[in-house]
Amino acid sequence: MREDNVVAKVIGKPIVKLIDVEIGYKNGETLVKIPDLEIFPGEIVAIAGPSGVGKTTLLRTIAGLVRSISGTVEVCGRVVPHRPKRGKLGYIPQKLGLVRHASVMHNVMLGANAGQKKEIIHRNKYIQMFSNSVLSLFPSTKAKRKSRDAIEKMRLTDKIGEPIRRLSGGQQRRVATARTLAQEPALILADEFLSELDDETMETVLRGVVTYVKNNNAALLVVEHDVSRAKTMADRLLVIDDGRINPFITEVTMIEVKV
Amino acid sequence: MITLKSKFISLSLILIMFSFSILNGMVDDWGRLSGGIENLFIFFGESLWPPDWSVLEPQNYPVCTTYPLFDFTCSTAWIGMTETIKIAFVSTIFGSIISLPISILAARNLSSLSLSYFARIVLAAARSLPSIIWAIFFVILVGFGPFSGVLAMTIYTVGYLGKLQYEAIEGMNNVPLESARSMGLSKIEIATGVVIPEMANSLISQMIFMFEYNVRHGTVIGIVGAGGIGYYINLYLKFLQYDKVISYLIIIFIVVLIIDFLSISARSYFNEEGDISKPSWWDLFIPKMKRVE
Repeated sequence: MREDNVVAKVIGKPIVKLIDVEIGYKNGETLVKIPDLEIFPGEIVAIAGPSGVGKTTLLRTIAGLVRSISGTVEVCGRVVPHRPKRGKLGYIPQKLGLVRHASVMHNVMLGANAGQKKEIIHRNKYIQMFSNSVLSLFPSTKAKRKSRDAIEKMRLTDKIGEPIRRLSGGQQRRVATARTLAQEPALILADEFLSELDDETMETVLRGVVTYVKNNNAALLVVEHDVSRAKTMADRLLVIDDGRINPFITEVTMIEVKV
Repeated sequence: MITLKSKFISLSLILIMFSFSILNGMVDDWGRLSGGIENLFIFFGESLWPPDWSVLEPQNYPVCTTYPLFDFTCSTAWIGMTETIKIAFVSTIFGSIISLPISILAARNLSSLSLSYFARIVLAAARSLPSIIWAIFFVILVGFGPFSGVLAMTIYTVGYLGKLQYEAIEGMNNVPLESARSMGLSKIEIATGVVIPEMANSLISQMIFMFEYNVRHGTVIGIVGAGGIGYYINLYLKFLQYDKVISYLIIIFIVVLIIDFLSISARSYFNEEGDISKPSWWDLFIPKMKRVE
């Protein structure tokens, strides 16, 4: 089953590649074992499963925020702990991670800035790092345009100067999505990014992200506790089960479910 | 059964008795205490009271060069107090400009272990000496006057404000930092784009608090010759004109009270939720209880 699916989608190298990865806590307690997972450009993969099973930890591991206990995690051609190139990875955490006291535009510009390549080459590593950092403080007009486009796509143009703390939960979620779209990453990691949204907002967010992924050959890995919703949007659905869904299994495994 | 309450009472009693035993070791004659109260009344009645308000009148020295609107702006009290406030203001501004990058380096959630320890040692060194000791140091280096006061207070501000700032930064929500890091933003971008806007309210509120603190302490540094109203207090103390000293002290008390109030009102605009709750005059004496959320 899986082979057919992959063959249909394969365009180039996988964006995410996990080989024999064990994910868990710092004290060495394993949550999930993943023998093999590859995500290809243009693919939308959803991970579902009961709460506390390690879905978010898997996402954080791919984002490079947590180390895996063992195995190799490769993202955008670089093996973690080496980070992917600047702006290649977009991450929408469940708590969104927006700068609450700053405006919508400021937040989206952070993403657009991350997507901009600014490279001064210098033989001294530190001078190069420092000058690039200083240069990145000055956003280009292109970044500004990208931010405006993303904000418009998320239908937030009237809120462009509003601080985040004055927005509703759904509007904040749209800002986080706009930030990722303005960044134009090769891989989007989204943690329950459709939860607590009304139908109309969900439609806007989902359409924005899916269109971006399909048009730009990016990949989307989304964690979703609602299996039926995951089925509607994903090309592939992986379910992490610790025995709560299928009582016959003995260890935490990830199974691929037909969509 | 030993309850928590009885434990608390017995522990308090032990601490109080322990303090008294230490005090007893330091005091050789308790009889001096009765003489002390008598002395206080004599001192207060003969030397301190009534205050000599001539300090609010124009003096021959310092020479008044401009023609002011009000006469008292040529008085030593006015000149000294405004100088103290000026020193406090300038050193708060410069101190916070210097301390902000150091505190970002000192915050463990933003920089590496070695860098943060280095930055913390710098801040601790600036903070370890009180501003009056720094003032003595700078009076020796650059001579008498408000300039040495500004330098002394700036260094102390860097140390004190830096500690407040890095503790606030370390306490900030981790999720915005994580998402910025995974996007690939550089450390300078994270500091300017995420940390400073997110912490702006508390940073400004700490700055205002520091200004208020510097005004209070700026009255002292003049005693060692570093400018401000303390210079005149020291002068009249030397000439044993205590009635003038008490009028300076009353003026300082009133000004500090006003600045305290202004500081509380200004900080109420920069509290965490950003909504405005104006304090009343009573809050100076009876602070408002914080709402538990």
